[in-house]
Amino acid sequence: MSATTATKKASFPPVFYVLGAITLFGLALGIYRIATSLGATTNLNAGYPWGLWIAFDFFAVPLSAGAFTLAAVLQIFNRKEYHGIAHLALLAGFLGYTMVILVLVLDINRWDQFYNVLLPPLWNLHSFMFEVAMSITLYFGVMVLELFPIVFGRKNWLAVQVVNQLIPFIAGVGVLLSTVHQSSIGAIFLILRYRLDPLWWSPIIPLLFFTSAVFGGLSVATLLAILTWRALRRPVPKHLLFGLTRVAAFVMALFLVLKFGDLLLAGEFGLMFSSGALSLVFWVEVILLVAAMVIYLSRLRENENILLIGTACTLVWLAINRSTVAWFALRAPAGATYFPTWIEIGIVVASFAAGILFYSLGLRYLPTLREGVIEEGH
Amino acid sequence: MNKYGMLIDATICVGCRGCSVACKQWNDLPGSKTRNTGTYQNPPDLSAYTWTNIEYREIETGDQVAWAFLKRACMHCEHPACVSACPVQALHKLDSGPVVYDAHKCIGCRYCMVACPFGIPKIDFNKLLPEINKCTFCADRLDSGLPPACAKTCPAGAIRFGERDKLIAEAEARIAKNPAKYVNHVYGKKEAGGTSILYLSAVPFDRLGLPTLGPEPVPTLSEQVAIYGTPTALATVAAVLGGVYWITKRRIELAKPVAHGEKEKK
Repeated sequence: MSATTATKKASFPPVFYVLGAITLFGLALGIYRIATSLGATTNLNAGYPWGLWIAFDFFAVPLSAGAFTLAAVLQIFNRKEYHGIAHLALLAGFLGYTMVILVLVLDINRWDQFYNVLLPPLWNLHSFMFEVAMSITLYFGVMVLELFPIVFGRKNWLAVQVVNQLIPFIAGVGVLLSTVHQSSIGAIFLILRYRLDPLWWSPIIPLLFFTSAVFGGLSVATLLAILTWRALRRPVPKHLLFGLTRVAAFVMALFLVLKFGDLLLAGEFGLMFSSGALSLVFWVEVILLVAAMVIYLSRLRENENILLIGTACTLVWLAINRSTVAWFALRAPAGATYFPTWIEIGIVVASFAAGILFYSLGLRYLPTLREGVIEEGH
Repeated sequence: MNKYGMLIDATICVGCRGCSVACKQWNDLPGSKTRNTGTYQNPPDLSAYTWTNIEYREIETGDQVAWAFLKRACMHCEHPACVSACPVQALHKLDSGPVVYDAHKCIGCRYCMVACPFGIPKIDFNKLLPEINKCTFCADRLDSGLPPACAKTCPAGAIRFGERDKLIAEAEARIAKNPAKYVNHVYGKKEAGGTSILYLSAVPFDRLGLPTLGPEPVPTLSEQVAIYGTPTALATVAAVLGGVYWITKRRIELAKPVAHGEKEKK
């Protein structure tokens, strides 16, 4: 059954070329940024030292969390029926982290000294920026190992067999690293108590970032599964997806309890109504999450398109939440303004385009991956 | 080693900007082209090339309007958020007081700029490979037994350089001697765990644009979570993952129908 699909290599649809062109254009913009300066390419300024690219990184990391949540489902909870979805999420996660690392290199002023963060004499164990940089690097290595048997599964190499034997352990390490760094990305904001608006600043922000990475990751995996199965013209294995969205909905409920409980205990309940535009953002966030929960738990999920809308609500929530924390709700000095340049926006658009492009290419050229998906469709 | 500080008495400052010029001279910093923004304050703000600056404010009390001048620069915190935030130890606090920076370590992530509660670290975004810039407390001059350039030059005597403890005592003595003149508060004695720069003023400090900060050092919570939270989280998650793995594996080995799994299948 795989032979028929593998031999049916149609030419690329036009959208491939469009994505490829955007990717190449983004690459050119990236080179231009490296060759000039952040001043020449972005609107970053003294009042807004962080902008769209940082917000993108803070968004794309939990967006890639499908890799570790599904790795936990597959390897730790031993639910082998999820192996197709887990592999899709792994590929997407790997591409997501690749984009995060590339955009990060563009965003730091001293990209020429990027490696400093890996030199033990310079490690600052107090710094969550260090912890994030380190765990992202290590986790990237883990994902390369996890992908190894998927890419080279057909070769009868010793290395493939060794990695296959060790996969539960490697995946466990990956889940451990992800748990830590999804939380420590939130912990970056612990030190910004005087800068981040109190509606978002919280001593439990690491926990809020971690729980939202879990439901974000499960939602991405669901979205990918629906779109991928559709693209391969196979019936979507809904019973598997409902398992994921049910867990996601429970974690969302936990998140909301933590969020509102924290505001209540901090005596900051009133801020939900008195913070002007930020109050509006806050309620948009709440409504998106509640909408996703309703879809995930009710009969509405039976309709694939509505289920897709549920995952979209979650991802839009994730984008708004992370951009708010990293950008809108960070207080800037009076008079400071920031809006990204077309180059900043172009880099972000190109990152998504590249992600989608390489995901599709992966699906096309990695038979092990595609067969896993097809088997699961039954 | 002596721990130095500077006491800046805003009631004495005449707004001559001599400190700013002396700073530029000693540190070889270029002047910046500025435009009239409708105030005497010039340059408008601290920048990569202006490490200390006088802020001009018109303060209304009743029907009176008076100038208030404030010399802004790095506060050289006792527990600096920038030092705690920097992933590569490019910033560090010297025992003698200054918070200094090593451009060879910096990766340019700008976390220090975001973390500083005073908004002090600056960077020239237009440079190809820029470095973080801020007041160094003239650490090089201190090494040679000289006072910082700004303190040395101040013609009005508004900047007193010395040991931090003694300066706090002096500040409190000035308030005690002239309670009507000063706000009864030495800014920087307790703020954010204490700063090397201490301010005295006739008008409340928030009206001078200084942030209202609690006595707890800004990085305390973050550092505690990093040092205790991270290993605890690692150990807990590792134990939970290991436990779940073992249990699910054992269940499968025993080949019993898993009640939970059955339910999921629905």
